[in-house]
Amino acid sequence: MNDHLSFLIEKLPILLFGFPGQRPGGLTLSLILAVVAVAVGFCLAMPVSSAERAGWRPLRWCAVAYVEVFRGLPLILLLVLVHQGLGGVRFGLNWSPRMSALVALILYSSAYQAEILRAGLSTVPVELVESARLMGSRPRQVYLLIKLRYALRVMLPAFTGQAISLFKDTSVVVVIGVAEVMTVARMALGADVTNARYWVTMYSFVGVLYFVIAFGLSRLSQRWEQRSRQPDLVHSFFSY
Amino acid sequence: MPLDWLTQDLLYLLLRGLLLTVVLTAATAGLALAVGVAAGTMRLSANRFVHGLAVVHVEIHRNMPALVLMIIWAFALPNLFPAEFRRGLFFDNAFLNWISGWSGLSLPYYTLAAGIALVLNTSAYLAELFRAGVGAIPQQHVDAARTLGASRLELFRRVLLPEGLRTAFPAISTRLIHHLKNTALAAFVATPEFFHSAQTAITRTFLALEFLLLAAVVYLLLAFAFSGLLRWVEKQWLAAGSRQTPLTTAHQTNE
Repeated sequence: MNDHLSFLIEKLPILLFGFPGQRPGGLTLSLILAVVAVAVGFCLAMPVSSAERAGWRPLRWCAVAYVEVFRGLPLILLLVLVHQGLGGVRFGLNWSPRMSALVALILYSSAYQAEILRAGLSTVPVELVESARLMGSRPRQVYLLIKLRYALRVMLPAFTGQAISLFKDTSVVVVIGVAEVMTVARMALGADVTNARYWVTMYSFVGVLYFVIAFGLSRLSQRWEQRSRQPDLVHSFFSY
Repeated sequence: MPLDWLTQDLLYLLLRGLLLTVVLTAATAGLALAVGVAAGTMRLSANRFVHGLAVVHVEIHRNMPALVLMIIWAFALPNLFPAEFRRGLFFDNAFLNWISGWSGLSLPYYTLAAGIALVLNTSAYLAELFRAGVGAIPQQHVDAARTLGASRLELFRRVLLPEGLRTAFPAISTRLIHHLKNTALAAFVATPEFFHSAQTAITRTFLALEFLLLAAVVYLLLAFAFSGLLRWVEKQWLAAGSRQTPLTTAHQTNE
């Protein structure tokens, strides 16, 4: 029991921050990957979700295909596809595993967020948009201040759920060898046979790390939702 | 011939993988639905112990990545036992030999472990969805069943289960399609399912892009077919449900 604990304590710094030569790594890198993928994914999701509701059909089909393809592929396949296919030597890109992981995660999360955003935008009341137009707002103002704001509020639980889910999904990047917490745990255990009895301890601890962050974030977002729901949507609609 | 890189033995390898993916998805999805409904019902229980058990199951398996669960079950768990027991317990006993006998898997424990992890992970999500579905049942339905003298088992079987599943079905089918995609993670723990066989094909031929694109197309088709199947199930179910209610009432009043 004691040696398990001291093994974990010995490995804790590299699990949290990565190997000395290649920081940030470990859990920090998992968090960075998740945050960047969600942020950039949202920026991509805005045009895609608008294109999904566009009048011009080819554009709409392209957007729908984008969402369906990146939502329909397993993340593990998407990662390997981006790393060995798109970012490999064949197209002269030769991306590092970290770069490939980031691209794949962005594509994956943008498709999910586009779907959520589309659902949110479809709930925006027409009256709200029309009255904003009557007040002389420009299209960009209508989009940012009315539609997007309303959709974000309605879809807040879905967005936070997706972000937490994406954080857990970053564990899959171990297949292309990005030095995030799963890979670090795997390398810390190594091929050493005397380490075999630490396997359960190590992976359970990694599981606990994911659990603490995912559970904490979901509790936090629940609280946030409750607080932001108090000025009711209907109320804000009429008193806007 | 554009597909001449796909030789016959590679095609056979991929088809075997595809078969395992389909079987694994079907078996684990069915089990996960059963476990999920059980856990969701347990969470509604007034008994504190039963309730707590379900909460612990749901929270642990929902907040840990599926990959971590798979590695714990497949690679870490056997290492908990001394080497002399490990072989007999996990790799070479009558039960596992029986499985590999008819399925042709060389190390069936890894597939089993991946299946267990998948069932635990998905059932935690399904439990929450089922609980939400039960929560959306109109109170009158439950009251009506109680007034008619339904026992708790009958209340569950005739009201909570069908109506809860029906309300939660759109969300459940989304989750089950996600489950289908999650089975690809089993490739990481040496389960020879479709993605694993695609990777094997790549290491044999060095044609990464071809096989990965082929795998992508196959997964998209699988997801498409699965969602079609789920929609069909939902339609059958909803139609049966809406037809059943007035018919049984009329039947009972006639008698």
